[in-house]
Amino acid sequence: MEEIISALRELGVEQYVITENHTDSLESFYVKKNLDLTRRADTAVRSVRVFRPFEKDGVKMLGDSEATVRPGMSAEELRGAIGRAWYAAQFVANPWYPLPAGVKEPRRPDKGGFAGKSLAESMKDVAQALFAEDTAQDVFLNSAEIFMRRIETRIVTSQGADVSWEQYEVWGEYVCQCPAPQDVETYHQFSYREPAAEALRADVRHALEMTKARARATAAPKTGAYALVLDREQMAELLSYYVSRSNSGMIYQKYSPFSLGDPVQGESVSGDRLTASLKATEPYTDFGVPMADRPLLEKGVLKTIHGGARFGHYLGVEPTGNYRAVTVPVGDTPMEALTAEPCLHAVSFSDFQMDPLSGHFGGEIRLAFLHENGKVTPVTGGSVNGSILDAQGHMTFSKERFRIKNYDGPLAVRLEGINVAGEG
Amino acid sequence: MKVQESAFIAEKRPLLLKLRDALCGQFDHASILAEDTVGRVYRVSRHSVNVGEGDNVRGFVVKVLDGGRYAEYSFSELEEGSIPGIVAAVRELLAADVRPEGLAANTYAPPAEDPTVFSDATEYEIDPAAMSDEQIVDRLTALRDKGLAMDESVLDFVAMMSWQKYTKLFLSREKDMTQSVMYTTGTVAAAAMKDQQVKQSYMPCSGLGGMELLAKMEDNVAPCVKTVVELLDSEPMIPGEYECICDPETTGMIVHEAFGHGVEMDMFVKDRAQAPQFIGKYVASPLVTMHDGACSAKQTATYFFDDEGTLAHDTVVIDKGILRTGISDLQSALALGTEPTGNGRRESFARKAYTRMTNTWFEPGTDKLEDMIASVKYGMYLECPSSGMEDPKNWGIQCMVNIAREIRDGKLTGRIFSPVVLTGYVPDLLKSISAMSGSAELSGTGFCGKGHKEWVKVSDGGPYIKARIRLG
Repeated sequence: MEEIISALRELGVEQYVITENHTDSLESFYVKKNLDLTRRADTAVRSVRVFRPFEKDGVKMLGDSEATVRPGMSAEELRGAIGRAWYAAQFVANPWYPLPAGVKEPRRPDKGGFAGKSLAESMKDVAQALFAEDTAQDVFLNSAEIFMRRIETRIVTSQGADVSWEQYEVWGEYVCQCPAPQDVETYHQFSYREPAAEALRADVRHALEMTKARARATAAPKTGAYALVLDREQMAELLSYYVSRSNSGMIYQKYSPFSLGDPVQGESVSGDRLTASLKATEPYTDFGVPMADRPLLEKGVLKTIHGGARFGHYLGVEPTGNYRAVTVPVGDTPMEALTAEPCLHAVSFSDFQMDPLSGHFGGEIRLAFLHENGKVTPVTGGSVNGSILDAQGHMTFSKERFRIKNYDGPLAVRLEGINVAGEG
Repeated sequence: MKVQESAFIAEKRPLLLKLRDALCGQFDHASILAEDTVGRVYRVSRHSVNVGEGDNVRGFVVKVLDGGRYAEYSFSELEEGSIPGIVAAVRELLAADVRPEGLAANTYAPPAEDPTVFSDATEYEIDPAAMSDEQIVDRLTALRDKGLAMDESVLDFVAMMSWQKYTKLFLSREKDMTQSVMYTTGTVAAAAMKDQQVKQSYMPCSGLGGMELLAKMEDNVAPCVKTVVELLDSEPMIPGEYECICDPETTGMIVHEAFGHGVEMDMFVKDRAQAPQFIGKYVASPLVTMHDGACSAKQTATYFFDDEGTLAHDTVVIDKGILRTGISDLQSALALGTEPTGNGRRESFARKAYTRMTNTWFEPGTDKLEDMIASVKYGMYLECPSSGMEDPKNWGIQCMVNIAREIRDGKLTGRIFSPVVLTGYVPDLLKSISAMSGSAELSGTGFCGKGHKEWVKVSDGGPYIKARIRLG
C-alpha cells in the first residue's frame, strides 16, 4: 500500500481509489460420487484507479483510468503502470463530478458461521449436505463443484476512506441425472454466505425430483399464448429488469426511461403492484462509503435511482453505490392457486434471460408442467419469448418465499398471454 | 513482427525450474504453468469514455499427481525462498480431509510425456505500444461521431476495442514450452429506442495481431446503424419451423453452442454427453465437416500449446456428416484412455483446466448465397446472434439471435422479426443443412463459459448455411 501511495505522490495524482483483494479458495470437483480433484487458489489482486481533472473546450472534465498492480512488480514497473493510467485519464473526457467522501473504520471481520472453521472443515460440511440427499438409484448427482472462499478486501481513497472487511462464501454447481425412462440431466447452482445445510439439502431434493420429472417429459408444449408461471432463479432473473432499469447509468444514457415517482409497471395494473428493496451485499461502495438497504419500488412506484458517483451526479441524485440484490415481499396467492387455472409452469430453462434494454425475456424450456383440463403433464422443448412491458400489468406473486444470493422474495409469478414456440 | 516474451516470465524462469525440480523430486508427476497477461480496453460512447486494462493477470499454478490423486495449487507470488512453502501447501492439499464419509477419490496413472522443448510467438503488424491512448481514443471517437450522425433515431453509438497479449511457460519433467500470443477485438454497436424498448445492433471484428484491426472497424459503422434503424420496426417472432439462411456468425453460434460443447470429452467422462453413442454415425448432413483446434485457424483462440502442455491440434470432429471424435484435455484423456487434443484450457492460472473449444468452425461448401436465398419459398435470414447455451446430454438447442429477415419467394421482403429464440434437437438441425456457401468466416470477439463460469476466449464461424430451424 505504501509503495502505491508513494508512486501516486511522485506522479502528482491527488484523487485515487486503491482496492486490494486477497482470496483464499479451497475447491473440490466431484465426478459421480468420487472426488476427482482438490484445488487451492491463494491469489492477490490490487488495483489503482486514478482521477485526473482537466478542461476540454472550456468544460471541466474528470477522466479516470485503472492500473492493476500485479504480483512481483518492481517499483519501476509499478510507477510505469500507474503512470500509464494517469496518462490515459487525460483522454477520458467525461464531465466533472465530485468523488464521494469515504469513511475510516476498523476492519470488519466476518462473524458468520463459516468464520470459526477452517476452509477444509467448512468444505466437508457443505459436501456432506450436498450429497446427503443423493441416496436413490434412479436419480442421482452426476457431478458437482464446490468453491469455499475467504475474501479479504481493503479500500483506501484520496477522499478519506480506509476500510477493510472479511467475507466467507461458498458457491458451486451440481448436475442431476436420471437415466430412465429417458436419460436426462438438469443443472443447478448454489451460493451462501452462511452455513445453510438444510437449505442446500432441500434444494438438492427439489432438483432430484425435477430431474425425474424431466425424464418423463417427452413432448414440447403446443405453440401458442399461455398463462406462464415462472419460479425460483427465473423469478429472480425476471425482476432484475427493475434493478437494471433504475440504475443511474442506464437512465442518464437514456437506455431506461425510468424516473423517480414513475409508476414503472404502467398506469393500468390489474395484477399485483410490485414493492421491492435494494439489498446491500457489500458493507461499502467502491469509494469506501457505507452501503445500506434502500427502497426501490413501492406499489409499483420508483423510489430510488441507484448507481455510482458519476451518473448520480449528472442526474442530481445521491450516489448510492451499485446494487445487485433485491428483496421483495411475498404475494397473497399460494402456489396451488397460482397453478389452479390452466397454465404452463416452466421450472427449468437452458438459460433463461431477461434483457433489461428491450424488456424481452425467454429461453429454451428444459422442463415445464402443463396444467390443463385438470391434468398436469411434464413437457420439454420449445421456447418462451415474452415482453415484460406487456406482462407487468398482470403479475400475480406467490405466497411462498425463495432465497438465493441476490434475491429474496416470492417463489413464483404468474404472467398472462406469453408466447411459447413449441410443437405444431 | 513476433510478439515478445514477457520479461517477468523470463526473469522467473530459473526459479520455476528449481520449483519444477523440487516438485518432481517429491511427487509422482508435477507440472507448472506460469502466465503473464497484459492488455488494454478502450470504449467510447455518446456519454462516456473508458480507457482501462484488460484481464491483466500474473501468476502460477502447479498440478501434482501423487498416489494416483491429483491436486492443484494456484498462487500469485514466487520469490527465492517460496519453494518449500509451495511444496508444503501441495502436500497439505493432498492430505486435506474434505470428502464426506463414504465417498471415494478418483485415481490416475501418470501421463506419458514425450520430451518437448518449444518456443514460439504469434505475429502482428502494428504494435499497440506504437499508438498512444490519445490516438486510439481519437480513432474510436471518430467512429462514434460518424455513427451518431448517420441517423437521428440513434440513441447511442459505441465503438470499443481491446488488445490482449500473454506469455505462458509450461514446465514438467519432460517439457519446457514457452509461447507468446497477441489478439485484438473490436466492436461497433448502435442503440435506438421506440416504445420503451431499446433495440441494439452490433458488428464485431477480431483477429490475431495488433492495432491493424482499427481499420476494419470503419467499414462496420454504416451497416450497424442501418440495422438498428430497421430493428425499430421489427415485429415479435411468429413461432414456427422455417427454412432459414444463417449468416456465418449465426452458423458459428450453432457450431459452438449447439454441437461443440457436446463433444468436449470431460463431458464424456461424466456421462454428460450423447456424443459417445454417435461416434462413427451420421449426426449431420453429408455437407458438414466441422473443425476445432487452436491451430485449425488464425483467430483469437489460436495458440501453440494448451494450459497442460499439449501441442495445438486441428481436430476434424465431423467429417462429411459423420461424428469422428471429440476434443479433450489431458485429465479427461487419462480417464478415457484416449489422446489429449490440445483443448485443456484455464480461465487463468487461478482456475481449473477443463476441456474447452478453441477455433470451432464448419468448412465451406460450394453454394452461392444468392442462390441459397432464391431457393427459399418462405423462410428467414438469421443474423446478429446474441447468446447460446449448451445441452450436451440432451442435445437441445438454445440460441438467440437479434434479427430474422423474412424471405418470400426467394427474396428478402424487408420485414424483420426480433428477438428470436432457436430451439430443437441438434442432429435434426444439422441433418437438415441443405446448402453451404463457398467461403467460411470466423469471429472471435466473445468468450465462452463452461456452464455459467470459466470464461475463455474462443472463435467460431463457417459459411452461410441453409437449414430448417424452429424459431420462437
